[in-house]
Amino acid sequence: MSEFSFKPIAHDADVEEKSRPSLSYWKDAWLRLKANKRAFASLFVVLGMLAFAFVGPFVWRVDHSVQRLDFTSKPPWADRNAVIAQPYVAWDGVVAPEPTGDNLAPETLEVVGEATTNSVRLKWDAVRNAEGYRVYRHVLRPLTGEPLGLPLGGTKSRTAVSFEDRLDIKPTTYWYSVVALDDQGTEFPEATTITVDVTLTTTVLTAIEQGWIDEADAGDLVPGSRFQLPWHPLGTDYLGRDLLARLMKGAQVSLFIGIVAPFLFVIAGVVYGSISGFLGRSVDHILMRFADFVIALPFLLFMILFKLLFGIGPGESGILPMLVALVLLSWPGAARLVRGEILQIREEGYVEASRLLGTKTPRLILRHMIPNTMGVVLVTFTFAVPSTIFTEAFLSFIGMGVTAPTPSWGAMCNDGIKTMETTPHELIFPALFISITVLAFNLLGDGLRDALDARMRYGE
Amino acid sequence: MTKYILWRLVQGVVTVWFIATATFFVMHNIPGDPLADDKAVSEEIRENLERKMGLDKPVLQQYVIYMGNMLRGDFGLSFQHENRRVNEIIRQHFPVSAILGILAIVIAGLGGVMWGALTALYRNRWPDIVIILLVILGISVPSFVFATVGQLALVTINKIAGIEVLPVAGWGTIAHMLVPALVLGLGTMAFLTRLMRTSMLEIVSADFIRTARAKGVPMAQIFSKHQLRNAVLPVVTVLGPSIAGITTGGFVVENVFGIPGLGRYFVLAVQQNDYGVIMGTTVFYGAFLVLMVILVDILYAVIDPRVRLE
Amino acid sequence: MALLEVSNLHVEFTTYGGIVHAVRGASFEVERGETLAIVGESGCGKSVSVQSIMGLIPMPPGRITAGTATLDGHDILKSRFIDKKDIRGNLVGMIFQDPMTSLNPTMTIGAQIAEPLRVHRGLSRGEAMKRAIELLDQTRIPEAAKRAKQYPFEFSGGMLQRAMIAMAISCEPVVLIADEPTTALDVTIQAQILDLIAELQREKGMALILITHDLGVVARMANHVVVMYAGEVLESGTSDEIFYRSGHPYTLGLTEAMPTNRREVEQKLMPIPGSPPDLFSPPVGCGYAARCPHAMEVCVSDRPEAFGLSDSHGSRCWLHHEDCSTRVPGVHYA
Repeated sequence: MSEFSFKPIAHDADVEEKSRPSLSYWKDAWLRLKANKRAFASLFVVLGMLAFAFVGPFVWRVDHSVQRLDFTSKPPWADRNAVIAQPYVAWDGVVAPEPTGDNLAPETLEVVGEATTNSVRLKWDAVRNAEGYRVYRHVLRPLTGEPLGLPLGGTKSRTAVSFEDRLDIKPTTYWYSVVALDDQGTEFPEATTITVDVTLTTTVLTAIEQGWIDEADAGDLVPGSRFQLPWHPLGTDYLGRDLLARLMKGAQVSLFIGIVAPFLFVIAGVVYGSISGFLGRSVDHILMRFADFVIALPFLLFMILFKLLFGIGPGESGILPMLVALVLLSWPGAARLVRGEILQIREEGYVEASRLLGTKTPRLILRHMIPNTMGVVLVTFTFAVPSTIFTEAFLSFIGMGVTAPTPSWGAMCNDGIKTMETTPHELIFPALFISITVLAFNLLGDGLRDALDARMRYGE
Repeated sequence: MTKYILWRLVQGVVTVWFIATATFFVMHNIPGDPLADDKAVSEEIRENLERKMGLDKPVLQQYVIYMGNMLRGDFGLSFQHENRRVNEIIRQHFPVSAILGILAIVIAGLGGVMWGALTALYRNRWPDIVIILLVILGISVPSFVFATVGQLALVTINKIAGIEVLPVAGWGTIAHMLVPALVLGLGTMAFLTRLMRTSMLEIVSADFIRTARAKGVPMAQIFSKHQLRNAVLPVVTVLGPSIAGITTGGFVVENVFGIPGLGRYFVLAVQQNDYGVIMGTTVFYGAFLVLMVILVDILYAVIDPRVRLE
Repeated sequence: MALLEVSNLHVEFTTYGGIVHAVRGASFEVERGETLAIVGESGCGKSVSVQSIMGLIPMPPGRITAGTATLDGHDILKSRFIDKKDIRGNLVGMIFQDPMTSLNPTMTIGAQIAEPLRVHRGLSRGEAMKRAIELLDQTRIPEAAKRAKQYPFEFSGGMLQRAMIAMAISCEPVVLIADEPTTALDVTIQAQILDLIAELQREKGMALILITHDLGVVARMANHVVVMYAGEVLESGTSDEIFYRSGHPYTLGLTEAMPTNRREVEQKLMPIPGSPPDLFSPPVGCGYAARCPHAMEVCVSDRPEAFGLSDSHGSRCWLHHEDCSTRVPGVHYA
C-alpha cells in the first residue's frame, strides 16, 4: 500500500472562494489612516489643538485681555515672589576702612538687605586712590569695555561705599555696576557688576485690588509677609497679559479662520465645480474661464484690498471680513478639481451602466458623483487648512489681519518680534503653535490622500 | 510653439485686464472718500488727482480714464506724496524686489531639485531622514519666523566674530542679499524638495525606467537621462505659484531686513492709506505674476515635448 | 547545456501584508532559435520569474531565495555582467507589455533605440542614430528617419511596440524576452507584432521567451511550453504535448476555456471555477488542488513531484503516481 492516500475529495465550488471581507470605501480609508502612524498621531494633535482653543479657556480661567503693566514681557520662569511693604526706614549708608589692595575696581559688590521695588541698597569695597564712585543700572548685561551710559548716581568720597537706589524700580533683574572715580571725576577703566533680582513690594490693598490675593486671605498678611503672584505658565506679553490665555484666545481666532474659511470655500468650489462639470459645454467653458481669472488675482494683495474694502470699524475684530475675503478669492482651486473629477466620473463605465439601467440624474449624483468626489474634496480641505492658517498669520503679522486687541497667533508673533532679543518667548510660543498646527494638518492631509486614493487601495 | 506662445500672451492680456478692472472696482468701493481722509491730502495733490483721474466724474468715466492710463503704462499717482508717480516708485523699488526674488527662486528651485533628488537616492537612509525633517520644518514654520531668526542669527554671528561678517540689514551689495534671499526661498525650497522627492520615487517604479534597465543602461545614466528630467516636470509646473508666493513673502523679508523693495513700500502705502500707490502696485504685481506664469508655461513647453508639439 | 537555463527558482517579496511567495521553484530552458512560451493566469509568477533573473525586480522588497540561472554557462544570478558588459540589452533583449508607458516620454524614439548601442557597442551619437533608423526600418516603421526624431506620444500603440522591438534587438541579442507583448494592443495589431517577432527571430536565430496568458498565441508561436500556476511550473513540454497530450488537469482546464473554431470540439467554453490561491500563505500540497475537479487527499497534503511523461514532457500531478489507480479521461498518461 502506498504511503499516500489517493482518495478523491469532494469540494463545493464556492468553498474555496478565498476572498477577504469586503470593506466599504470609508471603512477601508479609516483602517489605512489608522495604519499610518504619523497621520494618526497628527489627527490627535489637531484634536488637541481644538481642545486647547475651545476647552482650554474653561480650564485656564485667566482673562486674556487683563494687562499687568508692572509685569510685562515676563518669561515663564520669572520670579513670582512678592512682599507686603514695610514702613520705610532710612539708611545711613556704609563707611569703609581705607583700602589696602591695589585693584582698580571694588573687590566686592553686594546687596544689603532685600532688593525690593521700594529700594535696592548696595555696598562695595573701597578702592585705593579713588575719590568717589559712580553707580549704573542696566536691564541687560553690560558689555565689558563698552561705555556704561547714564549713571544712576554716586558718592564723592573714597570711603563712602554704599548707595541706595529708589528710582522707579521694577520687579525684574538688574545689572548694577560700580566704577571708581579719580580726583578729576574720571572713571577708572574697570567696573564691578552684580545681578540683582528685585522682588515686588506692594500693599495689601493693591494686592486685593489686582486680584493677586483673596480678600479672605488678606487678614493673614502683615507688612513683611510674602506671597506668590499669579502664575503665568507661558509668561506674559509686552502689556503684561497672560500668554497662555492669549494663545488660547488666539487659537480660537486662528483655528476658526483656518477651518471655517476652507470649509466655506471648498463647499463653494464643490458647488461651482459640479455645476460646471454637469452642465458642460459652453457654460462649463465660461465658468472655468472666470475661475481662471480669479486664480490669476494676486492673492495676498487682494486680501489686503478686501480688508480696505470692508473697512474695519473701531471695536471690530476683522475676523469676518477676512473670512469673506478668503472665500471670495480661494474657491477656484476646489472648483477646478471637482469639475475635473465630475467630468472623469461621468465617463466611467459604472455611471454609464447605471444610467442605462434607468437611474435618474439626482440619484446618479447622490450615489456616484458625490461619494466619489468626497475623497479629493476632503484631502483638498485638509491641505487648505494649514495654508489658510499661514495666510492669516502672514496678514496679521504685517498688520493687515485681525485688529488689535483681538489676538491671533500671527498677531501675537507680530507683537513678540519687537521684544525678540530680550524676551524671545513672546515670539517662540505663538510661532510654535502655528508650526505644530500647520505640520499636523499637513501630515494628516498626506495620510488622508494616501488613505483615500482609490488607485492605492489594492496595490502594494 | 509660436502659436502657443501667442495664445498664452493673448490670454495673459485678458487676465491683466480682469485684474485691473477688479482692482479698480474694489478700490472704488472702499468706504469713505480716500481724499477726504483726515490724514489731510494736500490741496495741490487733490487738484492734481481730480484733474488727472477725473475723481469728480461718474464711475464709468473714471474707469475709462483709468484703463486708458493703464494702457499707456501709467500706473497713477501717489495720494500722499506730491507729484510722485507710481511708475517712478515702481522703477525705483521694483528692481530691488526683483533681484531678491530671482535670487530666492533660484535658491529654492536648485535647492529643491537637488535635495529632492538626493532624498530619493538615499531613500529611508539617514540623508533622506535628515532632509525630510528639515523639509517638515521648512513647510510648517511661517516665513516671518525664518526672517527674524535669520536676522538674529546674523546679529549673533557678527557679535561672536567681532566683525560684520554679513550686514544685518540694508541693501546694496551681494552680502546684503544672501541671507534675505535664503530666508525668502526657504519655504518654497522645502515645498519643492518634497514635490521632487515624491516625483522621483514615483518615476523610479515607472515602466520606462524598467525598460532602461532592461537595456543595460548604467545606473548613473538612468538617473541623469531618464529619471531627473521626467521628475523635474511637476516641479516646473508649480514654479508659477511659487514665484507668486515668493513675491508676497518678500513683503515680510524686506520689512525685517530693511530692504527698500516694492513690497515694503506697498505695506507702507497700505498703512498710510495711499490708495494711488496701492491700486497701481496691485495692478503692476498682477501683471508681473501673469507674465511669470506665462514664462513658466513656455519653459515647461520647452522641457516637455508633449506640450511643445501640441 | 541549454542556452538559457533556469532551475528551481524561488522569488519572494516582503510587503506590508507579509511575505508573498511569488515564484516557488520554477524551472525552464530555451535553446538558440527556439521559442519557449510561459503560460499562466495573471499573478502566477511568469513575469516575475523572468524579470527576477534579469535583475529587473526591485530588491528590496523582492529577493531570489533559491535557484540558478545560466546564460551560455555563465551564472547570471551571481553577476549579470559577461566580459564587464551588462547582458541586459546586449545578450538579452526585452519587450514589455504596455508600450505606452514603457518608453521615456521626454526622449525621442531614435535616441531611445540608440541608447543600448551607445552603451554596449560604444557607437557615437551619429552612428547610433543611423543604426536606430535602420532598425526602425527593419521593424516596418514607415518614414523611419522622420519617426526617429519623434516622441512616444506621437506614436500609436502598435508603432510603439515596433519601436520597443527595434530597441530590444538593437544589439543583436541571443535571447529575446517578450513579456506579454501584445496584451495591450488591438487584436488586429497583435497578429502583425507577433509575425514581426517571429520573423526577426528566424532571421537572427535568437532564442525567444514569450510570456503570455493567451493560448492562441502559444499555439501559433511556441516550440516549447511551460505552464505556470501559483508560482510553480505544473507542466512543461513541447507545444504538441501540451495541447494534444496534456498530462495535467490545469492545462486541460485552460485548453477547455479557450475558444476554438473547430466543429468537432464541443462549442461551450468551460471556465475554471474559483481563483488562484493566496500566495501570502501558499498551500502545502498542489497549488491547483483547491480548484481541481480530480483532487485527491494527497493533493492537499503533499506537493506533487514532476512526473516524466516523455523526455520532453513533465507534469506535476499526483495522477501520474504509480500507486494512483484513478484514470481521468482526457489526461495523457505515460
